[in-house]
Amino acid sequence: MIHQIIAITLKELKVLWLDREALALLFAMPMFFILVMSFALEGVFQAGSKGHPIEILVVHQKGGRLADQAIADLKRMEGLVLIETHEGVPLTSDKAEQLIGRGVYPLALLFPEGYTERVLEISNDPQKGRATVYLVSDPATNLQLLTTVKGAVQGAIERPVLLARIPQRLKEMFGTLEGMEGQLDNVLGNTNISERERSAVDLIHTFPKRFNAGRRPTATEQNVPAYTIFGVFFIVLTLASSFLQEKKDGTFQRILAAPLSKTALLIGKLLPYYFVNLIQIALMFCIGVVVFGMKLGHLPALVIVSLALAAAANGLGLLVAALGKTEAQVNGLSVLLAITLSALGGMMVPTFIMPDLMKTLSLFTPHAWALAGYHDVIIRGLGTKEVLTEVAILLGFASFFFVIALWRFRFNE
Amino acid sequence: MRNTPIFIVEDLWKSYAQTDAVQGLSFEILKGEFFGLLGPNGAGKTTTIGILTGLIEPTRGHISIDGFDLFSSPMEAKAKLGLVPQSFALYPTLCARDNLVFFGRIYGLKGKRLRERIARVLEIVELTDRANQTVATFSNGMKRRLNMAAGLLHEPEILILDEPTVGVDTQSRNAILERLDSLNKSGVTVLYTTHYIEEAQRLCGRVAIMDQGKIIALDSPARLIQDLGKGIIRIEFNAGIDDRLLDQLKRIGLVRVVDDQKRRIHVKTDRTDQASRELLELMKTQEGLLKTLDISEPNLETVFIHLTGKNLRD
Repeated sequence: MIHQIIAITLKELKVLWLDREALALLFAMPMFFILVMSFALEGVFQAGSKGHPIEILVVHQKGGRLADQAIADLKRMEGLVLIETHEGVPLTSDKAEQLIGRGVYPLALLFPEGYTERVLEISNDPQKGRATVYLVSDPATNLQLLTTVKGAVQGAIERPVLLARIPQRLKEMFGTLEGMEGQLDNVLGNTNISERERSAVDLIHTFPKRFNAGRRPTATEQNVPAYTIFGVFFIVLTLASSFLQEKKDGTFQRILAAPLSKTALLIGKLLPYYFVNLIQIALMFCIGVVVFGMKLGHLPALVIVSLALAAAANGLGLLVAALGKTEAQVNGLSVLLAITLSALGGMMVPTFIMPDLMKTLSLFTPHAWALAGYHDVIIRGLGTKEVLTEVAILLGFASFFFVIALWRFRFNE
Repeated sequence: MRNTPIFIVEDLWKSYAQTDAVQGLSFEILKGEFFGLLGPNGAGKTTTIGILTGLIEPTRGHISIDGFDLFSSPMEAKAKLGLVPQSFALYPTLCARDNLVFFGRIYGLKGKRLRERIARVLEIVELTDRANQTVATFSNGMKRRLNMAAGLLHEPEILILDEPTVGVDTQSRNAILERLDSLNKSGVTVLYTTHYIEEAQRLCGRVAIMDQGKIIALDSPARLIQDLGKGIIRIEFNAGIDDRLLDQLKRIGLVRVVDDQKRRIHVKTDRTDQASRELLELMKTQEGLLKTLDISEPNLETVFIHLTGKNLRD
């Protein structure tokens, strides 16, 4: 059986090699997307608009009046949705970090206990240091989105602090000086005072505790995995067309008239495409590293995500081969699945800015889980253990595709 | 040993949702025999070949190949078979040699033995000088010959050929038929399906005629033709005939009503000249009823037409 599998694999590789244009397209297409999208489309995401609000978790139960005011200001801002409870329970810091860690939400704003008292205390005595508000983000959050949110949050937390300090400042001024008009200008509009007040609160950007993310994700780190996954699933077209061609040419009939099991034929037939997928992934990440200086993270974790991803892509290819009866059907179905699942899975637009329904649907694509796996490794700095869920789900997709494909596949149609 | 059954088919059925494509086929092929399977399109030949080569699972029935059951011992049984499918069943972007290397490996051939067998089959089909040429550049005749070479690589005891001469010129057809005759004489058992009646008549020791999933006749071409007597008279009427006229026709010869409307009738007789005169005389009393009257010589094609009411190439 091994001998026959090797024979089929070698033959298939030779046939693939002879159709170099089709093979080259498999590599050129995702490469093209990575280069163009990374260079040209940096920062075009429209997150934060009215139609695509950014969801921010908020923890402020013991933050006091100033925290409530800052949150009220943020709630009035278009393009932001503040979430204070999860499943009916007020959020805690741990819960918020956990939800971000799972990729459910991209950001959280944490007001520590006694925040208002601390701000007021500092206002009375600036020598006592600064108060702190934490902005926790998923390391995979888009940089442009993060910058926008940070600006909005900074403004929202400074305003109540300034307002809270006005009575104290007035008291200071009127208690010691004559001629209040000029002093009022100082209190309300003077830049020096404003700078001084701003220093009362620090907005500290951090990541969930379990992530080793001391740096920000780049456009390359976002785009290379996404467009690699996009390209990997184009194997569906090549693979399904090859199966259809064998059926059409009658070569399957000849092979199956030989002492060879259908299982051996399928394994021998699929293996080359699996290898092509792995080479494709390796090449795309090499471009990321060499051209863009991308860091790959924990390599074994990256490898197991890639192995599972290629299995899912091959499974989908066999499924299309089983369902497509004609060349046109195979072509149409392959392109439709490649584009639709990629868009839905967050390859073109991050899932966190999608409407809830689309977010939910994205979970039914192998693309979304593969991207989550790659982000875990490359951006969030996680290891093998942490990507096992994504790997298991990708293998689940692969199994599902294979089972349906084998049920529907007919060698003699 | 010749005259021992090498291929035994018993009560073979294949049913689909709407139809029974194969209905209770039973036949035996003897070792060293050249056995023909004839039938028009839709007769169930392709399904039968699919089942006999293990590609299609039958609804029920047994197939034994040189003592091995095709379904319980498929590897042993299939090792005895060589298939030359109706389609070219070759990889057009590979050269002839690479195609043969692949199909040889599938049958477990390797190394020196594989090289020797490739050289031998290329010699048999006279393609040695084209071995390194891409198959896509071959003529249909060359592809057919290479198709046959691929089926012969592992020296099968039984060679199954499904319409192996479709779409080739006369010269290539003759070359293929000569090779097949020679192979059969060297001891290879052949199961041959064809649309070309003259091929079956020339090569086959026995033929099975299939129609609507059943074998309707099985014998040597000579005996089937002999059973036909001096031939058949084929009559087509402008309208369906009544029972009284049918009885009158039955007095002239053995009558077979071909269609349900009783518009097409075959009359088998040992005295075609006299019978046709009597028929024409009878038709004088039925003005405007006779459309055509045709006397067919006794040959395998006529046997086929008489048995099925169809031309083989319908």
